[in-house]
Amino acid sequence: MNFSTQIAQAVVICFAAMFTGNILLTTFLGMCSFLACSREVKTAVGLGAAVVFVMTCTTILNWVMYWLVLVPLHIEFYRYILFIIVIAAFVQFIEMVIERYSPPLYYTLGIFLPLITVNCAILGAALFMVIRKYTFIETIGYGFGSGVGWMLAIVSMAGIRQKMAVNRIPKGLQGPGITLIIAGLMALGFIGFTGVLQGQ
Amino acid sequence: MSPPAKKLTYTNVTLEAIWYNNPIFRQILGICSTLAVTNLVLNTIVMCVALIVVTGLTSLTVSSLRNLTPRNIRMMVETLIMAFYVIIVDIALRAYWPEMSSNLGPFVGLIITNCILMGRSEAFAIVNRPLISMVDGVASGIGYSMVLLVIATAREIFGMGTFLGVPVPFFSGPYWDRWVIMVMPPGAFFMLAVAIWIFRSISTDTEEKSS
Amino acid sequence: MKDHAWFPIAYMFLITAIPTALLIGLAHYTQPRVDANAQIAFEKAVIMATLPATDPTLRGLALHKLFVERINTQTNAAAGAYRLMDGDAVKAYAIPFAGKGFWDAIKGVIAVAPDRTTVVGFYVYEQSETPGLGAEISQPWFRAQFQNKTLAAGDLPITFRRRGEPLGPHDVETVTGGTQTSVRLERLVNQACDQWRAAMPSGATP
Repeated sequence: MNFSTQIAQAVVICFAAMFTGNILLTTFLGMCSFLACSREVKTAVGLGAAVVFVMTCTTILNWVMYWLVLVPLHIEFYRYILFIIVIAAFVQFIEMVIERYSPPLYYTLGIFLPLITVNCAILGAALFMVIRKYTFIETIGYGFGSGVGWMLAIVSMAGIRQKMAVNRIPKGLQGPGITLIIAGLMALGFIGFTGVLQGQ
Repeated sequence: MSPPAKKLTYTNVTLEAIWYNNPIFRQILGICSTLAVTNLVLNTIVMCVALIVVTGLTSLTVSSLRNLTPRNIRMMVETLIMAFYVIIVDIALRAYWPEMSSNLGPFVGLIITNCILMGRSEAFAIVNRPLISMVDGVASGIGYSMVLLVIATAREIFGMGTFLGVPVPFFSGPYWDRWVIMVMPPGAFFMLAVAIWIFRSISTDTEEKSS
Repeated sequence: MKDHAWFPIAYMFLITAIPTALLIGLAHYTQPRVDANAQIAFEKAVIMATLPATDPTLRGLALHKLFVERINTQTNAAAGAYRLMDGDAVKAYAIPFAGKGFWDAIKGVIAVAPDRTTVVGFYVYEQSETPGLGAEISQPWFRAQFQNKTLAAGDLPITFRRRGEPLGPHDVETVTGGTQTSVRLERLVNQACDQWRAAMPSGATP
């Protein structure tokens, strides 16, 4: 594929990852932090932004590690361990950088970073990237799109839950129950995006 | 909410993990990795068996090594042990049951990030003896599987009219319009919410009755 | 011993090295099996497409034997198609097709009779589409539609039509709810048939 078709493909993949193939609403990855941190829009935006950043960077790093290290050595099965190490190391590194160079940013964003290490969505994005055999440029689109999609989902959820904070909800449904129903309705809504862009 | 501190017998540990502290409807942990495969009961069974085996073995290994492992690297060691067992399961599936392996896709590998594994290792296995840790791990896995199988059964019967691939009398007949939404992601969310609602209601009822 | 500074490092090293060695061994041991599985999957597709009446539970060594007996793998002489032989006569051409579906690759085989127009069979052996929707392309009902259809002359040998529309001799029904999968599958199948027909030497069948 030449360069311009790759860029076009990357845009389509990015769009698909944001909406029709939303990593949270269609493949259910990243649910734990989603359910726990979606009460307020402010926290959600902070966590979402951190996820976008980490997801984009780590999928790219993992692409490099997979295709340039694991495949030539025929140890593809090792990717599970290697990807986790890359993600943990990257998050640790970023946390140190932010803490050193921007304490205010660290105060708003940095506290989410440890949460992200265990976020299955980050590992999941890397694994999907391997399975679907994306090229480097497509991976950039995919990583960014997945991150933004996850952020969209959690921010929308926070907004809805803030509005619903005063409603009366049955006891068994309070908390995660109602959140999941809202998530289901959002997933239903996102399906409406299918076919908007040709090729996804 | 939790019963007062009980003795660490096998029965107590098991009951605790399966019901009182159920990973899904009490702790709401670890749903990510399996919810995607709950549209077919067979896939769910395979995933759950894999999870039970991995959790049991991980807890056993972590507990056996607990006196040897330095404190400051213990989380990395736990992760490595989990990954080891998961990769074995992945390789075995790919070699001996390739259709299932491609059905499950990356979700077998995602068991590694399943919060239940890390949770049980950190909370139980690292401070308790091997055999009882394994029981705790296996019981957590069973509690988890129980809820997921309920969800998968509902999704497959309402959505496809089959159970384990076999057509079910009324639901595969002409009078039932398959609920396609059950096969798609929103169906999983709704079923999980309903399952949590049902289990929590039963659970609070029995607790209120016994207190 | 635990308190020495080198202990954590040595421990980490051992706990990584030993499992890794075991895993490499296991992967190595199962690799021939994994490759054989992929090969068998393809052979099954060729057999099921060219001989649609074959028992679908046929697998393993029995399947491989049947493949070796009946299928001519000299694809260069038939523009990339595998040939179902009966003695020296060609009974069907098995045209492989592969490409990107909605989620991931779709790979399959479409079998055409020696008249190069009648479709003998159809089989998808690899797909990762949504179960119950796009994945229906692997189901018997979808496959059975292709039998005895004919390839139209020109660009669109087979047309996929929605449920409810009348089906002509070149048409098959798509999967309801699996539009994207169907669109891509249609494109893959048609491309493969077009290319094969164009590349086949005209005149007597080889």
